[in-house]
Amino acid sequence: MPGPADVVRVSASPPPLPTLTGLRDDKLTPFSSSPGLGGTPGETVRHCSAPEDPIFRFSSLHSYLFPGTIKSRDMSRKRHHLVPETFGVKRRRKRGLVESDPLRGEPGSARAAVSELMQLFPRGLFEDALPPIVLRSQVYSLVPDRTVADRQLKELQEQGEIRIVQLGFDLDAHGIIFTEDYRTRVLKACDGRPYAGAVQKFLASVLPACGDLSFQQEQMTQTFGFRDSEITHLVNAGVLTVRDAGSWWLAVPGAGRFIKYFVKGRQAVLGMVRKSKYRELLLSELLGRRAPAVVRLGLTYHVHDLIGAQLVDCISTTSGTLLRLPET
Amino acid sequence: MLGFLSARQTGLEDPLRLRRAESTRRVLGLELNKDRDVERIHGGGINTLDIEPVEGRYMLSGGSDGVIVLYDLENSSRQSYYTCKAVCSIGRDHPDVHRYSVETVQWYPHDTGMFTSSSFDKTLKVWDTNTLQTADVFNFEETVYSHHMSPVSTKHCLVAVGTRGPKVQLCDLKSGSCSHILQGHRQEILAVSWSPRHDYILATASADSRVKLWDVRRASGCLITLDQHNGKKSQAVESANTAHNGKVNGLCFTSDGLHLLTVGTDNRMRLWNSSNGENTLVNYGKVCNNSKKGLKFTVSCGCSSEFVFVPYGSTIAVYTVYSGEQITMLKGHYKTVDCCVFQSNFQELYSGSRDCNILAWVPSLYEPVPDDDETATKSQLNPAFEDAWSSSDEGG
Repeated sequence: MPGPADVVRVSASPPPLPTLTGLRDDKLTPFSSSPGLGGTPGETVRHCSAPEDPIFRFSSLHSYLFPGTIKSRDMSRKRHHLVPETFGVKRRRKRGLVESDPLRGEPGSARAAVSELMQLFPRGLFEDALPPIVLRSQVYSLVPDRTVADRQLKELQEQGEIRIVQLGFDLDAHGIIFTEDYRTRVLKACDGRPYAGAVQKFLASVLPACGDLSFQQEQMTQTFGFRDSEITHLVNAGVLTVRDAGSWWLAVPGAGRFIKYFVKGRQAVLGMVRKSKYRELLLSELLGRRAPAVVRLGLTYHVHDLIGAQLVDCISTTSGTLLRLPET
Repeated sequence: MLGFLSARQTGLEDPLRLRRAESTRRVLGLELNKDRDVERIHGGGINTLDIEPVEGRYMLSGGSDGVIVLYDLENSSRQSYYTCKAVCSIGRDHPDVHRYSVETVQWYPHDTGMFTSSSFDKTLKVWDTNTLQTADVFNFEETVYSHHMSPVSTKHCLVAVGTRGPKVQLCDLKSGSCSHILQGHRQEILAVSWSPRHDYILATASADSRVKLWDVRRASGCLITLDQHNGKKSQAVESANTAHNGKVNGLCFTSDGLHLLTVGTDNRMRLWNSSNGENTLVNYGKVCNNSKKGLKFTVSCGCSSEFVFVPYGSTIAVYTVYSGEQITMLKGHYKTVDCCVFQSNFQELYSGSRDCNILAWVPSLYEPVPDDDETATKSQLNPAFEDAWSSSDEGG
């Protein structure tokens, strides 16, 4: 009768990184098989030798790029990690000193993630007519705790630093744009057109006052004093999109091209994972491949989105992060 | 644990703290156990389970074959190995059995003398447990997806029924007729739930992506339509508010009634503040939901941080309610899980699925202590030294 196997956990601390340390102190755990049907505790861990240094440093680089992916596949071990917490025994861990730049925000926060992701957006592709758009799902891939990310994004929205915009192809996909960028691009786009007046009035009065994604009829006519003709101008300008009778979503003029490239690129990158043998790919291998021509926004941009939207499962292995299509 | 016990003994800490800490620890250790089993009676998938709130001893299950079975969960045998036996069942040979699939069963909240069941055969039946006869039958024009009776109310005996039509019907058990209709939804009602805090507050979830909170005493429409974007409340037109981006399949109030959890076919689960209808924006990630009818999920009760158990394909996903963290996925069923219930006295979870099994998930914390009699009879010899010779070999 087999006795309970010893739980040997080999873990090593990653080199201290100054920014984006969204890593939890669980560190990289070696790949372990998930518990089988009703398996007894203790049989779920495979013995693994310590990973060699060069490989480890490489995989830690990916944990730097995608800290949200470091989630132990073996969920049952995480429960036991919570057990001493419920009894009030807290292990105090000394976190390394981290410099926090007040402009960029706390490392590992949504603000830093958004700034980081804005760098990935290809401005030249749209001739600078479009403000850099980042998706909410991409922020989730950088900030591991989704609820915290949502709350921080909401705070930024309330402070007026970012605008959240409904991208038309999926009700769940929200685009995040810096308010300043949005304002400058919209003004540039409507320069000299007949609806310029209505757009300027909208940007001056409605944008700072109302931070929501959508606007209602009463709000526009009574609170902000817009006439129906002006609202039509706004829809023509691309600043508002119709949601329902009497309500509109905030929109980005000229975003149609972006959405087209995004949807095609997402399908293409997902297809790259789907076509591989066993429907899984190492993250490093995926990023090293040549992007198909359909992918105009960049592989890293799409990979952040796929991970954050949970369209692929991230499994940490000894050779790095593995992306696998979910079974369901 | 010993620290907690001594603190409780000396009066430094409230006894409730130890109870909550131990309950949480047990829930974190839930898994399948070879010693615990539920007798398999159903011939079709199991759609609904309910444990009576009085003692937590008897469990009802309703299946797609129309059969309703009553199980006794209590382990009165001295051994650790125990199968929950079926006490009685309303099988296909019963004259009053439902003709089609049973969608929801619920015990009468105040005692086990009565239970209600609703089914796709457009009826809601009220059964007497001791004689297993129907005491009353309510007929509807459309198939019934879900029903619920208020667990706390003493002032009314209304059963809220959600059918394929857009109107929520309230049936009164005392008078035996439908007393009320609540209008407001546009498509079928997939789940209904009374608040465990207020007698008259009802939440309904519909395929038109809306969740509405009603006060059934009010003559005019619903109190609040939940809005996932937390838009301004000043807007008079609430028609654009949606709780999910797809059908809303399941509803569950937390045990204190202050929060409401909803799941939808947009693969999201949302936590709402039930008093003002605000989306708390707790993000649970992707909660796969392909169910065309209601999904019955449940919340733990009595732990220091409450957990929600949601059927996720053929597994059950466990999340902490207020922080959205996924604790684990309980794997064990062969097909899609449809329902689960939590027994709060022993921190056990029972789940029913389309593979006709009910599985019992039991906290497993310690290795069983071997009995004294067993060690005496066990041979002291190392098996390597045991004699393999037998006298029958010699005969040739």
